[in-house]
Amino acid sequence: MDVSQQSVVITGGASGLGAGAARLFVDKGARVAIFDRNLALAQQTADELGCLAVACDVADEASVMAALSKVTEINGPPRIFINCAGIDITGRIATRGGGPQPLEALSKQIAVNLTGTYNICRLGADLVRQLPRLASAEPSASTEQGVIVNVASAAGLDGPRGQTAYAATKAAVIGMTLPMARDLSAYGIRVVTIAPGVFNTPLAAAVLRGDPETAVGDVPFPKRAGRPAEFGQLALHICENPMLNGEVIRLDGGLRAT
Amino acid sequence: MEIKDQIAIVTGGASGLGAGTVRALAAKGAKVAVLDLNEALAKSIADEVGGIAVRVDVADTDSVAAAMATVKEKLGIARIVMNVAGIGIGRKITSRKGPHPLADFMRVINVNLTGTFDICRLASTDIATLEPVNADGERGVFVNVASIFAFDGPVGDTAYAAAKAGVAGMTLPMARDLANYGIRVMTIAPGFFDTPLARSEVGEAGVDKMVSLVPFPKRPGKPEEFAKMACHIVENSMLNGEVIRLDGAIRMSMML
Amino acid sequence: MNVQGQVALITGGASGLGAGAARILTKAGARCALLDRNLALAEELAAELGGIAIECDVVNGPAVEAAVDRVVEALGTPRILLNAAGIDVAIRTANKKAPHPLEEFERVIAVNLTGTFNVARIVAHRLTSAAVLNEDGERGVIINIASVVAQDGPIGQAAYAASKAGVQGLALPMARDLAPFGIRVVTIAPGMFETPLASGIPQAWIDSIIPTVPFPKRWGNPLEFGALVQQICENTMLNGEMIRIDGAVRLGA
Repeated sequence: MDVSQQSVVITGGASGLGAGAARLFVDKGARVAIFDRNLALAQQTADELGCLAVACDVADEASVMAALSKVTEINGPPRIFINCAGIDITGRIATRGGGPQPLEALSKQIAVNLTGTYNICRLGADLVRQLPRLASAEPSASTEQGVIVNVASAAGLDGPRGQTAYAATKAAVIGMTLPMARDLSAYGIRVVTIAPGVFNTPLAAAVLRGDPETAVGDVPFPKRAGRPAEFGQLALHICENPMLNGEVIRLDGGLRAT
Repeated sequence: MEIKDQIAIVTGGASGLGAGTVRALAAKGAKVAVLDLNEALAKSIADEVGGIAVRVDVADTDSVAAAMATVKEKLGIARIVMNVAGIGIGRKITSRKGPHPLADFMRVINVNLTGTFDICRLASTDIATLEPVNADGERGVFVNVASIFAFDGPVGDTAYAAAKAGVAGMTLPMARDLANYGIRVMTIAPGFFDTPLARSEVGEAGVDKMVSLVPFPKRPGKPEEFAKMACHIVENSMLNGEVIRLDGAIRMSMML
Repeated sequence: MNVQGQVALITGGASGLGAGAARILTKAGARCALLDRNLALAEELAAELGGIAIECDVVNGPAVEAAVDRVVEALGTPRILLNAAGIDVAIRTANKKAPHPLEEFERVIAVNLTGTFNVARIVAHRLTSAAVLNEDGERGVIINIASVVAQDGPIGQAAYAASKAGVQGLALPMARDLAPFGIRVVTIAPGMFETPLASGIPQAWIDSIIPTVPFPKRWGNPLEFGALVQQICENTMLNGEMIRIDGAVRLGA
């Protein structure tokens, strides 16, 4: 799908991977709306990039519905959704000194990473389903109507220590990629997931308690943190390449997390 | 790395996915060596894009060595290597006709798996002697071709599935072996694409059946879409050691 | 299938994982035929277990045909095939001095991948005309050995990983090919097991790898591998699947 002039929703777009993607999509002529819980930060990023900021709690149905209405009104109905909103609460499931990990560690991450992603996907797909069908040189059954890009994590595949709850939510995002692609194929909506490794983002800095650049010892090549622009580049390629569907793509410099 | 002005090798470049890749690399400003068993066809593609054609049988190590030497002499050391050459065979491991002939199995392994490895080992040795092209220390990138048959192989494709799973399996250790030299290794596992190989694998009647299994888009992939993915891999340095399915979400059932 | 009274053909059965499985299957009442390149070692174990030993190179078609004939003659049709013959080399794809020698790559592929396929196709063909064993219509089970290396791919293991990933890749289509005949195909991907094959691994690497095994933090015992083989034989619902047995280890580079 050509992204220029398309209305695009990027959740968690105020910073990190989402902001990286927003910049690339704006450069390509897309009308981007950044969804973020932190409206002040979202507005700041949006002003800088020349796009729209919308306050949104992705796990809340009413909040997402309201945000989607606002985007439709200002930018037109969105056909592309990049789900970058995510949180990471690290900690071992049980330790000798600390006892069991609090259950909210899991429930909070499920709310944002999994329920939030699912919520945007179901409401976004339902919106696209009701739009007038786009036409192309292709037969109707293979004419694209929308694209969803979800964000999992290398942690969801490799299961590093201290990441039981986070890995569970990201593995769930991986797990829903294929059935969602199958469900939405009838409506011409593709679903692809990116599983990033160590990237230079505020989230990674918080989790690693320091500069992500210092945590790349296990990365074969390139031995540095990924740049949000590189994430954005792959998200853009996914939108532009119609044969990519139902797939989880690692973007990690060959890292296998331990 | 940027593709412009780089030297690239595409095996199996005379037709199908390989030919699409040759055209895309040339359009982005690469000097392309088209390596193929079919020299006449390779020459016509090479002439079209201003590249060179070199005959190679990837299953024959002497032929591979000679072809690599020819590319080095005529264009220089290629930093971009795309291993697209491949063959298939449809035969059950045993049937009323008797057991699967071992020679046929080995031929499929030799072309798809050993041939890919052979090109990679020679190319990486040469690339390691070059200076990096950027601040990451990047020297080269390999794009190998597996297949969705490596993961959900249908009836009658044991040899092809084994060879392609081998290609997928060596992606990560090869990326790790070559990380010190700044050479990335990636694999694409295509689904059903409109190529002479795919058409011969499934037969003309199988084309509609295959397409019907694709969730979306409901059509064969186009070689230019494969080529677009391959070029993106070259350009995105964070992609390494990974196998990417490019298949419209198809998962094969037991029968073709 | 019930292992009791069955004939099991085990390639690479003289030592390591193959020997571990032979001991367990014998204890469960099977008669084992040990195929190995090392006849003396195979004979020693066969004598202990009351089985037979046959010298055989798994890559050689006629030799495997002849070996299977001998097994059928001496013990009966093997209903259980365990492809445990395997070799390893540790060489990087290329270094400044030289590329990975191609012959070494081909040797590993030949034994691990082509050898596995070779014995499987010949035994499977014999099984197609054997009587069914039970009301499921089961005729036999083929167990192949991949490796965690095929998925985790450490440095210097391109050849071994490719061969084992190949074994992994042929599992599903082989299971599908043979399903109409009631022959199951299951693959085991072992982690770090104490075997002669592993004795070729540099000590420094072993010292670094065992501490990374989450649990249990030790080498696997071939008898533990054998117990999984027995379970696969006995559980008819297991088919077309690959099972990691590795203490949850994921190998780093």
